[in-house]
Amino acid sequence: ILCVPQKTIRPLCAIRGMHKSAVEVLERPAPEDTVTASFGQFISGVKPQHLSSVVLHRSKRMVLDSIGVGLLGSTTDVFELALQHCQHMYAPDDISSVYGRRGTKLSPTLAAFVNGVAAHSMDFDDTWHPATHPSGAVLPALLALSERMPGNKPSGLDFLLAFNVGIEIQGRLMRFSNEARNIPKKFHPPSVVGTMGSAAACACLLSLNASQCSHALAIAASLSGAPMANAATQSKPLHIGNASRLGLEAAQLASRGLEASPLVLDAVTGVAGFSAFYEDYMPQPLTSPNGETHTFLLEEQDMGFKRFPAHLGMHWVADAAAAVHKFIVGIESNTVSPAQIQDIMLRVPHSKYINRPFPESEHQARHSFQFNACTALLDGEVTVESFSPAALRRPELLSLLSRVSVEHPHDNPANFDRMYGEVEVTLVGGDVLKGRCDTFYGHWRNPLTNESLRKKFRNNAGVVLPPENVEGLIEAVEGLDELEDCTPLLSQLQ
Amino acid sequence: IMLKELIFGQFISGVKPQHLSSVVLHRSKRMVLDSIGVGLLGSTTDVFELALQHCQHMYAPDDISSVYGRRGTKLSPTLAAFVNGVAAHSMDFDDTWHPATHPSGAVLPALLALSERMPGNKPSGLDFLLAFNVGIEIQGRLMRFSNEARNIPKKFHPPSVVGTMGSAAACACLLSLNASQCSHALAIAASLSGAPMANAATQSKPLHIGNASRLGLEAAQLASRGLEASPLVLDAVTGVAGFSAFYEDYMPQPLTSPNGETHTFLLEEQDMGFKRFPAHLGMHWVADAAAAVHKFIVGIESNTVSPAQIQDIMLRVPHSKYINRPFPESEHQARHSFQFNACTALLDGEVTVESFSPAALRRPELLSLLSRVSVEHPHDNPANFDRMYGEVEVTLVGGDVLKGRCDTFYGHWRNPLTNESLRKKFRNNAGVVLPPENVEGLIEAVEGLDELEDCTPLLSQLQ
Repeated sequence: ILCVPQKTIRPLCAIRGMHKSAVEVLERPAPEDTVTASFGQFISGVKPQHLSSVVLHRSKRMVLDSIGVGLLGSTTDVFELALQHCQHMYAPDDISSVYGRRGTKLSPTLAAFVNGVAAHSMDFDDTWHPATHPSGAVLPALLALSERMPGNKPSGLDFLLAFNVGIEIQGRLMRFSNEARNIPKKFHPPSVVGTMGSAAACACLLSLNASQCSHALAIAASLSGAPMANAATQSKPLHIGNASRLGLEAAQLASRGLEASPLVLDAVTGVAGFSAFYEDYMPQPLTSPNGETHTFLLEEQDMGFKRFPAHLGMHWVADAAAAVHKFIVGIESNTVSPAQIQDIMLRVPHSKYINRPFPESEHQARHSFQFNACTALLDGEVTVESFSPAALRRPELLSLLSRVSVEHPHDNPANFDRMYGEVEVTLVGGDVLKGRCDTFYGHWRNPLTNESLRKKFRNNAGVVLPPENVEGLIEAVEGLDELEDCTPLLSQLQ
Repeated sequence: IMLKELIFGQFISGVKPQHLSSVVLHRSKRMVLDSIGVGLLGSTTDVFELALQHCQHMYAPDDISSVYGRRGTKLSPTLAAFVNGVAAHSMDFDDTWHPATHPSGAVLPALLALSERMPGNKPSGLDFLLAFNVGIEIQGRLMRFSNEARNIPKKFHPPSVVGTMGSAAACACLLSLNASQCSHALAIAASLSGAPMANAATQSKPLHIGNASRLGLEAAQLASRGLEASPLVLDAVTGVAGFSAFYEDYMPQPLTSPNGETHTFLLEEQDMGFKRFPAHLGMHWVADAAAAVHKFIVGIESNTVSPAQIQDIMLRVPHSKYINRPFPESEHQARHSFQFNACTALLDGEVTVESFSPAALRRPELLSLLSRVSVEHPHDNPANFDRMYGEVEVTLVGGDVLKGRCDTFYGHWRNPLTNESLRKKFRNNAGVVLPPENVEGLIEAVEGLDELEDCTPLLSQLQ
């Protein structure tokens, strides 16, 4: 260390101090003008009357579907693993219900975790545009939190409001990036916006003030972001489980006064906030409801529900292949067999993630254009049972798989709003049959009817719950906005 | 071509105590001691209390793993790892490495918590030290996958990226998982990594280390139950990001497994930096430079330095928004302000734990000096802990100009704290919450850690 006196004369600049503090004020936006603050204000200020009838209806369908896929998901190995992990690593607790397991309860964040794992364990949960699976990240946290609240449980309408806040925040955040509109490459979207949505929903249910709501989002940002490489592995469901759990945790920490960056959603050069998860990032403030109205994104952009447990992209080729199957069965014989098929060409978007010629696991099969097309070609449909160990190894399926090739037409983008699926089958003997699907049944442009949705729910929930609970849940969700107390929802989950 | 994740998994499962050289043993024991000390002092902070109460209220009571400095308070293992990790980083007093991260606070709390959970015999001190060094090594290896990692970070806070992975590796090692399970532990941890830099220099920052510790332990536990994740998480795969998601440039390298007797741990080649006061590492350069000027002024002018003597102050420091804060408004911001630390050292001749107290933050003489500071970023002063310097040029009323310069502060890896200084820091820290017999007992336990048949003497004196 050196200290050297220098006899140089330096000019005075007596007013520098004032200049600096003035510059500082100009460079930093007033706290209430930031995007981050606008989100906090929205979450704390939005009210039940801001939920239109369309939004109420659509979100109740989401709640029902999410519970159903979660209940079915409670039969999976990964759910069992997650549950046992929680039961062994933490002291027993008796607060929040575990899907489908009568008498099994956990601490709230752990119940949110395992139920979130269940929701995503079979890739059967809802999908939105831009792409994410919004409900599984939010609903388990709200259910767990509601069970924890002492005294009166939240009303059904307050519960629905918090749920819709969790969905809305996810949609708003995804619109900060054009990158979000295509099949993701870097971070798995539920792990990015899902955590934030869960934090927002829980902050809403906890009635945190605007500042606390902002901090809940900021704390959640430090718990967001799982790389895509872990998708299509056994770990993927944990992305949603963790989104739910860690978002709830963020809201709880904020309720205790923990603070994080007040600029987390804003674009600040040189210091990344939520922008860290995106290549392009253009945040927009969220306008708080004035008086009577706020247009939720769900009003303008409906939800997609799956008819079978696989990546959304599979539904296009499944419907296209099913059309070919129907034709063959109609004219050729009662079944489709590999002996009839010479080759199969799929025209699908380019996405490494779901292009798997020879899937080697159930998870990979749920993310394979080839597998789902061949299954639908053989069976006329893809169902829950299409992914069983026996079905995965069927000789006739493996035989068909070896005859599949894939093209990526330029007009077929990796985008759930604009993609299509084409299945072209050349029969032995030369006939060529082509099926094409632009909008599968269940897509937001061709939504499942209420009948179809309830049928899916009964099939799912009925695997683990007695019929009276199944019907009780349908009834509770249908009338959720009129329940003074959401206990009928909470008490029938196991 | 072997997948890098598997190679890392083989290293973690295959490395043995005999691969720890005496240099590595010595240096890592210093890290363990320092980390416990800063964690104990950190148990007196508000953010620690908040984290602890959160855990106690959100989970059922459990009696497994000790909480730093709180006699009788135990939690479930991951929660103890969490709060102790928060404590370790709560005052920015923990160790710093190159490339930059705070490695020990992410690893040690998880290992302590896990050790207390193990039924029957606790791990030997040597096994404990091996796992600790594995956790450090993995962090160093991963940071070398990116050139971006060598400079002050902009996107993700490094402890939240490599710290989680290091904790997972260390716990996988202590749990004696096989190579495949060790690989999956890393892959599972990758999905729990990555907190944005915006939350650094806020009250939440310590949670980055607390969560790194906790979630890495969790990843190892899930892997031990057979959970699998991507086998490619460390490799560079076009179109599907793994661990590469956290970096702009990413060039992964395989890790050679120990063959026979030797493996050169990074810690052997690159020593650790320990802080003398609780602030960002960059502060130590300007503090030492300003302290030299203080000493000179006190020597020739009078017994104290007062603002009346100072006309203006010029700091020559690297360009980094993160630590350039002309008027810090909180303790956290003050710990990340070149200006604050330079002025404090100029006034007092040093920066200490007490320099960040609420009263000290508001001192009129300090605020007065702050308004006279300007900052330059010379081109030869990069935002890099291995190459930066700090210069403090003070123009006195009357025209004299005094200049202090620090190229390597005392405590930097090029000028390491002596064992005496390190122990003094430990006693000052630990002594705030522990009785003297525990303080000395911990020094003794850590000093002889590699010879303890059972690491209980370490575990039992933390509160």
